[in-house]
Amino acid sequence: MAGAGAAALAPAVRLTDVTKRYGPVVACSGVDLELLPGEVHGILGENGAGKSTLMKILIGLVQPDDGAIALGGREVVIHDPQTAAQLGIGMVHQHLSLVEALTVWENVLLGDTSKFDRSTARRQVMETADHYGLAIDPDRCVGELSAGLRQRVELIKCLRRDPKILILDEPTSVLTPAESEQLFTTLRDVVATEQRAVALVSHKLAEILHATDNVTIMRQGRVVERCRTSEATASSLARAMVGREVLLRASAAALGATDLVDDLSDAGVSATTDVIAAPIVDTRPVVLRIDGARVVRDGVAVLDDLHLEVRAGEIVGVAGVEGNGQRELGDLLSSLVTLDGGCVTVNGVTARTGRAGSMAELGVGVIPEDRHDSGCVLDLSVAENLLLDRMESITRFGIVDRRAMRRRAIELMREFDIQASGPDAMFASLSGGNQQRVVLARELGQRPEVLVAAQPTRGLDVGAIEYMSNRLRAAAASGIAVLLVSTELEEILELSDRIVVLSRGRVIGELDRREATSERLGLLLGGVETDPNGAHV
Amino acid sequence: MIAVVAAATDVFRDVLSAEAMYESAMRFAIVLAFAAVGEWVAEKAGTLNISIEAMMIGGAYTAAVTWGAFDMVPVALVAGVTAGIVVALAQAHLSHQLTIDQFVVGLTLNLFVLGLALFLDSRWKAVTSVVKPTRIPLLADIPLVGNALFGQPWPMYLIVPLVPAAWWLVFRTRWGLEVRSVGDNPQSADVSGIHVNRRRREAIMVAGACSGLGGGVLVLGQISISGYEPGHVGLKGIIAIAAVIFGGWTLRGTVVGCIVFGYFFALQQTLPVLGYRINAQLAASLPYVVALLVTAVFATRTRQPRALAQPFVRGLA
Amino acid sequence: MTATISSPGSSTGPSTAASTAKLVGLYVLAVAIALALSAALIAVTGGPWRKVFTALIDGSVRNPGRWGDTLTEAAPLLIVALGAIITARAGLVNIGQEGQLAVGAATAAYVATNGSGPLVLIGALVAGFVGGALWAGIAALLRYWRKVPEVISTLLLVFVASQGTGYLLTRTFLLLDDDPNKPNRVQTSGQLDPDTRIGFIRIFGNEFPWSVVLAVVLTVAVALLMNRSIWGFRLTVLGRNARTAQRIGVPVVIAGASALALSGAFAGFAGAVMFAAGSANYRYTPGFANNIGWEGLLVALVARNRPLACIPVALVFGALRTGSGFLAATGVERSIVDVVRSLLVLALLVPPAVIAIQRRRVTPPPAPVSTDEPVVAVAR
Repeated sequence: MAGAGAAALAPAVRLTDVTKRYGPVVACSGVDLELLPGEVHGILGENGAGKSTLMKILIGLVQPDDGAIALGGREVVIHDPQTAAQLGIGMVHQHLSLVEALTVWENVLLGDTSKFDRSTARRQVMETADHYGLAIDPDRCVGELSAGLRQRVELIKCLRRDPKILILDEPTSVLTPAESEQLFTTLRDVVATEQRAVALVSHKLAEILHATDNVTIMRQGRVVERCRTSEATASSLARAMVGREVLLRASAAALGATDLVDDLSDAGVSATTDVIAAPIVDTRPVVLRIDGARVVRDGVAVLDDLHLEVRAGEIVGVAGVEGNGQRELGDLLSSLVTLDGGCVTVNGVTARTGRAGSMAELGVGVIPEDRHDSGCVLDLSVAENLLLDRMESITRFGIVDRRAMRRRAIELMREFDIQASGPDAMFASLSGGNQQRVVLARELGQRPEVLVAAQPTRGLDVGAIEYMSNRLRAAAASGIAVLLVSTELEEILELSDRIVVLSRGRVIGELDRREATSERLGLLLGGVETDPNGAHV
Repeated sequence: MIAVVAAATDVFRDVLSAEAMYESAMRFAIVLAFAAVGEWVAEKAGTLNISIEAMMIGGAYTAAVTWGAFDMVPVALVAGVTAGIVVALAQAHLSHQLTIDQFVVGLTLNLFVLGLALFLDSRWKAVTSVVKPTRIPLLADIPLVGNALFGQPWPMYLIVPLVPAAWWLVFRTRWGLEVRSVGDNPQSADVSGIHVNRRRREAIMVAGACSGLGGGVLVLGQISISGYEPGHVGLKGIIAIAAVIFGGWTLRGTVVGCIVFGYFFALQQTLPVLGYRINAQLAASLPYVVALLVTAVFATRTRQPRALAQPFVRGLA
Repeated sequence: MTATISSPGSSTGPSTAASTAKLVGLYVLAVAIALALSAALIAVTGGPWRKVFTALIDGSVRNPGRWGDTLTEAAPLLIVALGAIITARAGLVNIGQEGQLAVGAATAAYVATNGSGPLVLIGALVAGFVGGALWAGIAALLRYWRKVPEVISTLLLVFVASQGTGYLLTRTFLLLDDDPNKPNRVQTSGQLDPDTRIGFIRIFGNEFPWSVVLAVVLTVAVALLMNRSIWGFRLTVLGRNARTAQRIGVPVVIAGASALALSGAFAGFAGAVMFAAGSANYRYTPGFANNIGWEGLLVALVARNRPLACIPVALVFGALRTGSGFLAATGVERSIVDVVRSLLVLALLVPPAVIAIQRRRVTPPPAPVSTDEPVVAVAR
């Protein structure tokens, strides 16, 4: 693997003692990092470890408070993304930096300082695309492209500027396993033949082990370990990331370490709570049934004849790559979307989809994929968010009893271990993990019939992830029908009793947990349909 | 019933065959177009500026005063443009730098500039005469539309280069590309290294320049009205915004919208001349009622810049 | 298109004694600048600015009986402002109070001039309420049925209202006075019967109608409703995050439309109150609204959408109105008061915005959901 003579080459990038603070919060502290040309350098850390901030500093979106950046031995100051581009640093962003209304070639030009010329731009797009084997039509509107294609545009936009240093921030969250493979192959090309330096930022162990040459591990804003990937194992990396031995399957799953999960399972380590083995013939009542659901937007069926059933006490995992209808499914169960066809029933009662609060009335609790979007009100207090939909219970003659509200809130905060300065603290001031706990507390506190958890652990650190997973399992154990929607395969595998795969708005395959392997799921996610017995169709 | 229809078609025929109608309609349409084209650019950047009104009033008054003082039309027009830019500067910095709500700022600026113009007018009366129309021979003799299109006072013709210039600015320059990105997805634009609020401010200044020019042209080019009267502008700014919506945020559609609205403004003036008695209030409110209907029909268009009227503060997605 | 008129910093947040002091200081500075600019403007155009300011104070509070007039002017301003606060809470933008007030006053006038007695008075007030609600309802209909941004529709409806009510004054069966002794060129409605007028309170040589007390009572009621009731809570959720509101069962369309209609109702009610308390000598005239609608809206904006804060602001704005009546003697046009008023509004909008920006620079805003990293918010 290229990089054997790394010691003799000057580092492409050297970060020395970089520090960034946000008031009392330290995002990065005294970080030293070296990226060498001709190697893929992994930057590993759980969510909140500081790796994204570090990359934002490198790309000029954030200014460090302390420390120095040197490129090719020369010290530089990176004011903004344009300076970074001039210095040869390019980034492929996590949540894409494309403008949907513009065409591919216009997006590629965005942020450049070159002359604005359509034919030159188109030509360059085609050239770059051909060179790296990434087929794309420069005249198409980005809004029409799939997530995988959009990332391709991102890549072309970045590579066209001929960056000496390429940063990829969590690139595979929107890709199928097959597309991820493709991406890593392209990366190796770029690195080997053109001697560029690549930084791959990720929280997934498997990815780092698979695609990088060197690894820097960060934890709580500091660099805690550096090693060559060839010398590392999943458990050693996991231990460095989390700071302790990783013995729990839930944590391993959280770290995206499928091998580790398998290892632990083999070693007989059980999940943190008992899983009630589902009987062969399931006699538990069906609580949530979605029948032939159809939602059409702009002529495209985002939900297309979707059939789904969840029984009391079971966890059904909906796997799939982002952009295949997960958001609409979540919105549907949040009363935000009206069906164009089909129906949703809860305990036999048909819901009036799209009517405000109809799902909540029937006992459907939702932890939405983006809690800021429909799960909370940022400007209200913690107590108000906790009791958001239960205000009637503390209302008399139309007036809200604030004292009762605080009392109930304190109870919930205690039960769910929510860290905040008090029930009157602003919800927005809570950390991500605590915010998610508030949402969970509110939804579970209702004793719902159905609990929908969409991407419940996204953006959380390992401790919070463990907590959330335990809670979900406990909910199922208490008889709630749990629907887990997630793009993280490991999470699905870890928590679900039954797994369905969502592709283009419909369910294309169903597996029982016992039959599900990463490989089989990977195939399904790639779009290969299987019949109920698991055979290829 | 048949009598009503017959009467209506008679009116229709008379109106459509009156040269005065077309002339008047074009005049209103052109003035509207100056403001509408400017606001089109600003809305492409994602801003909604009800202070277009203030920019026009500022331009109108300043142009009138300058013309009264120096008796040179180009100088007066430049003064109008400057006034429009000054108002736009206030809107731009208050809303897209100090982050005060853009509707609040727009409303306050409208009231402020109107009051200021009224006050200054009472102290320094703006006296204007009228720019004579410039007839292009031959072409202006075309029946019906000849005078309307080719017999206008010369400042009106400034719209002819302005429209393609605006199109070129938005679609053929880097600045325009960045403006469009900022109006559709400011977060993505920001990450790509574009100064979101700076582009928005610049777009608003373009709107200010155009609207200021429109105000100047309004005052200098109105044949039948002598002198500057406050209230000339009369909410034409909001009509310009309606025209942009009518046009589905395309430039071509916006211009067509201006012509449509111009037509209705002209009705108020020409119907009495043609001998039709029409209730004064009904005639005066027609363009605004039409604007309401028009926005009702066309506002659901999906070509609206996705970030329209949404302020951008980095970090709060 | 989602947009809200919200004064920056109207949301709750941590405030220490130091930052409050800073805010107050900024306010004082801003007002001083506004007043200085106004004085400069008068001086530059050759007017006596000292006399202007004294005239304003004389006309609003100093001279005998003027206090009462100021209160009378302030009452409808306060009522309109309350309505504006309701829409702001719901996350909507209503800038059409001027038109809603005119329509409300016209409907009230129609009812009131066709009868007499206290019952008719009450009927007229109710009619004003309903009239304003219906007028704002048009904008609500357009918004929720056809997605027309209410900022535009309410604004257009102002102009339509002024023309429409003008039309009403040309037909005797509508509003035009059919008194045979009236000179022909005067276009007003009939005069209100003495039995159908709002009574006056007389204290210390000042006279003001009962509607002033009513306005204050309404303010307290709205404050309670907004901050303590479940309806107010639901409205707040709607205004802050419509999707969350929908999920928890707040019917977005119904709640939003009723907030808009209610706001129009308040404006219409203010118009009715104005009419029944003696505006334009108990007659409905062209241009009856007389900018009360616009100014009431500004009161709410300056008070940062807090009901109780509207009371002092409405008093100041009322004072400006009555003060301007004394300007004729100074030779300065009344329009200077418009300038002073708008400058004051601008001045009062800037300090909270400045504080909000400074606060954002120091504390990290809510962690975005995708990563747990804090991001700095800078409007650059």
